[in-house]
Amino acid sequence: MSAFGKGLLDGLRVTAVNFFGSYFDKGRKERLFTYQYPEERAPIPENSRTFPFLVADDPNDPVGTIRCTACKICEVECPPKCIYIVMDRDEKGKPRQRPKVFDIDLSVCMQCGICVEVCPFESIKMDNDYEKARYGRFNELVEHLPDLLKPNAYYHRIKPTEAAAVDAKLKAEAEKKAAKAAAAAAAKPPPKPAV
Amino acid sequence: METVYKWLKNLATGAPDWALLGVAMLVAIGFLLAVFPGVFAFITWAERKGLGRIQNRMGPNRVGPVGLFQPIADGLKILTKEDIVPRRADGFVHFLAPVVAVVPALLALVVVPVGAGLVAVNLNIGILFAFAVSTASVLALFMAGWASRNKFSLLGAMRAVAQVVSYEVPTVLSAVVVLMVVGSLSTLDIVESQRGWFGWHVFKPWGAIGFFLFTCGALAEAGRTPFDIPEAESEIVAGYHTEYSGFKFALFQMGEYLASLAMMSIGVTMFLGGYLGPGSGPGVLGTLISMGWFFAKLLAMIAVVIWIRGTWPRLRVDQLLAFAWRFLLPLSLINIVAAGLWHFIPSKPVGWGVSAALLAASCWVLTRLNGRAYIEKRSYRLTS
Amino acid sequence: MNAAFWILAAITVAGAVLAVSQRNLVHCLLALVLFFLGIAGHYFLLRAEFLAAVQILIYIGAVAVLILFAIMLTRNVTGTEIPREILGGKWWTGAATAAIIAGLLAWAIRADRTTATPSGAAVLVRELGLTLMKDWAVPLEILAVLLTAALIGAVVIALEEPPHPNPLPRRGEGTPRPLGERPAAPSSAQTGEGKSGGAA
Repeated sequence: MSAFGKGLLDGLRVTAVNFFGSYFDKGRKERLFTYQYPEERAPIPENSRTFPFLVADDPNDPVGTIRCTACKICEVECPPKCIYIVMDRDEKGKPRQRPKVFDIDLSVCMQCGICVEVCPFESIKMDNDYEKARYGRFNELVEHLPDLLKPNAYYHRIKPTEAAAVDAKLKAEAEKKAAKAAAAAAAKPPPKPAV
Repeated sequence: METVYKWLKNLATGAPDWALLGVAMLVAIGFLLAVFPGVFAFITWAERKGLGRIQNRMGPNRVGPVGLFQPIADGLKILTKEDIVPRRADGFVHFLAPVVAVVPALLALVVVPVGAGLVAVNLNIGILFAFAVSTASVLALFMAGWASRNKFSLLGAMRAVAQVVSYEVPTVLSAVVVLMVVGSLSTLDIVESQRGWFGWHVFKPWGAIGFFLFTCGALAEAGRTPFDIPEAESEIVAGYHTEYSGFKFALFQMGEYLASLAMMSIGVTMFLGGYLGPGSGPGVLGTLISMGWFFAKLLAMIAVVIWIRGTWPRLRVDQLLAFAWRFLLPLSLINIVAAGLWHFIPSKPVGWGVSAALLAASCWVLTRLNGRAYIEKRSYRLTS
Repeated sequence: MNAAFWILAAITVAGAVLAVSQRNLVHCLLALVLFFLGIAGHYFLLRAEFLAAVQILIYIGAVAVLILFAIMLTRNVTGTEIPREILGGKWWTGAATAAIIAGLLAWAIRADRTTATPSGAAVLVRELGLTLMKDWAVPLEILAVLLTAALIGAVVIALEEPPHPNPLPRRGEGTPRPLGERPAAPSSAQTGEGKSGGAA
């Protein structure tokens, strides 16, 4: 019975070796590919995306340094219309260039990323946080401005190359604007003395 | 039960007989009902951990230390699931089928001696009774498939019935060998006949082949891999228990595992020496040691069955039936002849040699004859 | 005539009555299984343990399954209810027949004084086997031959297949036709109609 049944016994030997090896072998921690959630999480690639978030430049004053100017381009371009923006106005009714209300309905958002593509101020970006389960289906799944606002350091942490490119672009734009302002200031005639 | 009855009689001499008998019966039944479903729960945990480690992943490790309470969590989950019965299903038969699946397995455990003198009922026809009630579980498969009013369930049920009925024959014939040599159908006599060094029947040539035949038959009757076509996850939806959910499904699983436990216990009794082992004998300590031996052997068999499940692929249904009718059945008949030769040839070494040679030769011949059936290439008529 | 006898008798009679009165065939069969179980219980009461176990093994494990297969393969899958007309509306003919037969059997049993009194001891399998092999060896062998003949007959019936009227050509036979060509007259080509032949 050597040829017949030998494969079966070989198979048994392989699995037995694997079974005991998974307890005693040297490289067993890497061999067991289970990610023990929630203590460990599987690594996600940099380009993965789930829902949008808003970037703030200074973590100490997130609301003040928000990049978003409430231009509402993303609200108009969003295909399922999951964004709702209300511009912040001061006491006289003059618009401050930042949102007062910025709601994203997670149950509607289809994670297409169009809002990111059309934003002219690099203020809305795609997050990759997938732990968004809530205990309700309606109001609990709407994210408001405080939830959406995350600092630039967070953006660098989750998407380093993209954040570096965005920062370089913003710096280049700022330098160009500063150079233009300096050139305009130099070309301007000296101010008239007050009469 | 008789042991408990005698012990109680020694303890409480004034009590009436029927009370002592009733208490002894309750103790015996309670032991069976508590221990073997407990072993079933343990097997579910061991299977998940064992298969996980074989497959380079961890099994359950959240509920309790190393996941030991996972069966409790599973039980609670399945108890709280909604019990869906299809509207056109035959309600009465649909309800009875899981019951008919579980009860024969529990009945077969009644004649298994778990320790020295500890058998629930010492029937004269012990082994025959165990096999008789095991065959009654065929009806459950059929009832489940029929009552669901689902063509796929029925197909799965027919395949399951064909498989169980085919494998009953070599199983019973391999048990016949043991009965021939022992001369009695009672399980206690069978175990007692295996006393002595290497006295277990599995160490004799007909016993080794008989153990192999019996294990194949037991695995196939319970529907475990590699014979789990009726209920494998990737087969005909879920076979005969497609339309079952909630506790009835759990009862089917329990029935399957309990049937395999019952058959393995009978196999341990007949071939592996039951509760015999160094240190098992009369007296309280000896009885406890004998119980330990029995459960150790049973757990060893369970470990091997789980190991086999994690290793071998599934047999196709025609390969399954061919294996039963073309390999196991002739081998079991030749096994009977070999056992007869072993028993009746006056000189022991010649008897051993003749029967071992006969069995080895028949194994070789049968594998050569069946070889083509296994590795034949399928021919497809519609392609070139 | 203890309580066990009456309980078992009730179960047996209930099974028998249900087996002939149910509308659904599978329910009838399950009631018949209950009847077999009751009879097995009676055998246990009569200390014929071997016969009881064999009753369960053969009748429930084999005969009931056989009847189930027969029902399943001859009825449509969804199960048919037996129409009332086949049973006949006249229940009293059945009752009269049953009464006549029961009366005859009772008279015959009571009139026969030569039966041995039941000894009360269990029939040992060993004695059964010895008797079977010594005194009744020839009928045993005749029964074995009968069973073998039945087995062979069943296998022959199951194996025999009528030849297919339009068999596809086996590998290597027949010439492949280019696709799109109309087939010849039906009598000539054995590949039958359609453009499906010769899909090389």
